[in-house]
Amino acid sequence: MRHRLLGLEDVRRRNESAWLIPNDGSRDNHRLRDDMRRFPDSEEVDLVVVGAGAGGSVLTQRMARAGWKVVALDAGPFWDPDADWVSDERASHHLYWTEPRQIGGADPVPLGSNNSGRGVGGSMVHYAGYTPRFHPSDFRVATLDGVGADWPIAYEDLRPYYQTIEEELPVAGEDWPWGDPHRYPQQAHPVGGNGEVFMRGARELGIVAKVGPVAITNGRFGNRPHCIYRGFCLQGCKVNAKASPLITHIPDALAHGAEIRANSHVSRILVDDETGRVTGVVYIKDGVERRQRARVVAVAGYSIETPRLLLLSSSKRFPNGIGNEHDQVGRYLMVQGAPQTAGRFEDEVRMYKAPPPEVTSEQFYETDPRKPYKRGWSIQTVSPLPITWAEHVAAQGHWGETLREYMRDYVHWAVLGALCEFLPMPENRVTLADELDRHGLPVAHFAYSQSENDHQLVDAAQGVMEDLLRAAGASEVMTIKRYAHLVGGARMAARPEDGVVDAHQKVFGVENLFLSDGSVLPTQGSANPALTIMALAARLADRLAGPVSMVR
Amino acid sequence: MPYRAPNQRAVTPQNRGRFPGYDVLDEVERWDDVTAGAVLERLTPITDLSFFSKEEDAIATPLCDLLLAQDGEPKIPVVGLIDVRLALGEGDGWHYDDMPPDPQAWRESLQHLDDDALTVFRLKFAALSRDQQASIVQAVQDKSSSSESWHDKPAQQVWSLWTRYACAAFYSHPWAWNEIGFGGPAYPRGYKNRHVGGREAFEVADHADRDPVPFASRVEEARRNHAKLVESGNR
Repeated sequence: MRHRLLGLEDVRRRNESAWLIPNDGSRDNHRLRDDMRRFPDSEEVDLVVVGAGAGGSVLTQRMARAGWKVVALDAGPFWDPDADWVSDERASHHLYWTEPRQIGGADPVPLGSNNSGRGVGGSMVHYAGYTPRFHPSDFRVATLDGVGADWPIAYEDLRPYYQTIEEELPVAGEDWPWGDPHRYPQQAHPVGGNGEVFMRGARELGIVAKVGPVAITNGRFGNRPHCIYRGFCLQGCKVNAKASPLITHIPDALAHGAEIRANSHVSRILVDDETGRVTGVVYIKDGVERRQRARVVAVAGYSIETPRLLLLSSSKRFPNGIGNEHDQVGRYLMVQGAPQTAGRFEDEVRMYKAPPPEVTSEQFYETDPRKPYKRGWSIQTVSPLPITWAEHVAAQGHWGETLREYMRDYVHWAVLGALCEFLPMPENRVTLADELDRHGLPVAHFAYSQSENDHQLVDAAQGVMEDLLRAAGASEVMTIKRYAHLVGGARMAARPEDGVVDAHQKVFGVENLFLSDGSVLPTQGSANPALTIMALAARLADRLAGPVSMVR
Repeated sequence: MPYRAPNQRAVTPQNRGRFPGYDVLDEVERWDDVTAGAVLERLTPITDLSFFSKEEDAIATPLCDLLLAQDGEPKIPVVGLIDVRLALGEGDGWHYDDMPPDPQAWRESLQHLDDDALTVFRLKFAALSRDQQASIVQAVQDKSSSSESWHDKPAQQVWSLWTRYACAAFYSHPWAWNEIGFGGPAYPRGYKNRHVGGREAFEVADHADRDPVPFASRVEEARRNHAKLVESGNR
């Protein structure tokens, strides 16, 4: 195992999470939770983190290690994989953000199970497990292609953090030829039927496809066992093989004195109108409104809830919401176009057996100067389970007997998905709706419309996937158009006129408020965002804990 | 292992399927108990509805029967399973801004099916023949395909609401898994034979030898039957 050679002990020295999980077959360290440090609301902690997902958990773990007093609040439960999760699609509904939200625009984007998590671990509890890096070009899209935006930081700023997070998850995959070529700490997993079909079709067409990169441990990692290939990655990994912050960063955070306060819905950020500094947060737990004071606040609620919270936190000093002086909060929210193509094979594929994330091609990721559109897409295996597969079939317009007949043929189908880089646009944004949630707070409204470039990418990706499946031997193909992931909504920019946070993820105009989640991304590439969100959080932690603290 | 009466083995909806004798529940003792509990609960009879009124039930039941071609016993209790969700207020975490929240959208759309039935056939939806009901439902889907509105709501959104809830209920049921050959929950067991053409010891092959009709012809026949149903209702 390559990992062993690369110094597993180094990983353990900086993040002991995988070794803090019990070694007796149970998936959660209850002792660690029972012994968790608990701060009284009246105490001013050093840092309160809103949201214990990809960005919030890494920041919490790093800052706890740096000796800060940290409280992370999450609206959802503190999951125990043994007791709370199932090997079942329908009964996994509670993993998603199911509080009401409105969607609109010309191309409304469904939320919930598709892209929104809740509870400690966040959306990474139910993400597939793909953890690709962004390409260097993603940070300079405006310069290179004249569309989208440039980041105020470069790929090189994130590279060391990509490496450390890849080691901590850990990520398994073949040597990666695209973007900044790199290797992974673990070897690639063996592939199942769906991955075999992808590889076969790609070989026929001369498309390069590689196994990985997935944050699913290939071999034992600390006390986390090897993947058992049960196919329910999207329902929360009961095995503890697939990485989520619940097992990769939270245990170490607890061991270093952080408090994870679950079932605590933050309703506003408190502002001192005199100084313009934030002083803590208001949150609702067990129906009671409470306050947590803090020297620094970091919001990590992801692309819908982070903008919503900033907008809900209006005050005399910030009448339009915090960080919103230039009407930037909620804007440039992005989703990836995710057309999904299925192919029918005479052989039984039984795609439900392997983890849905298996094989990737990033061959079409970069702008092709011969094409009329800018930027590109990646292709990955997706392997829907029966309910999601029924949505695919029903989306073709089939119902009644035809739907049943297609469904009866489930074991013969293989499914691929593309991630198309949709461009950031200012009118794609979160605002507050007039509908109220059960706490009496206005819910988020998310408006989304595609651009012409977006449509062209989806059509091109669909064409390649259909060709690939036919080349692999499919007798029939069917494609549905859908969306995946969320990023942006409070983006990083060089100037306050263009975004919500600066290059250090500090909110413009507020000295002690930071954002540590996917909402800060100015572009999205054709990569799944989890690894980048974690890498950014690790970078932010270095800035906060560094010898010269950024916090004034 | 939970006891099952012999006639409760390998049940498929309307006794249709391509995997004769396959019973996903044979594996239940190898599932974790939380998952087994969640799946087995779906076998509990649902005797009373909490969300839908009697009048709404009379519309929802034929609607869901049509959407999933449940034209006989044994039937998966789709309306009951939807009713539980709506009664608990378990939403999907979003709704279209031109649609009310899902529970209200269900009530209103069922009422509109009745309105259409009265307009077209001068009878309530529940009183129509199956093919007449199918023609009313098909009309909504036609509007959905051409992005028209239906009773001042986007037909697409209404269609998506019905099919989303109905499919989630139907394909969450172990009888539907028997019908489609799905291996079901796999923790802590996992899957061993994952290559193309591979099967676990408990899985049953798609019975092409018993039913040599190729897939394309089967789908064609299903389409023909479906079209016949809808057209005869239009007459």
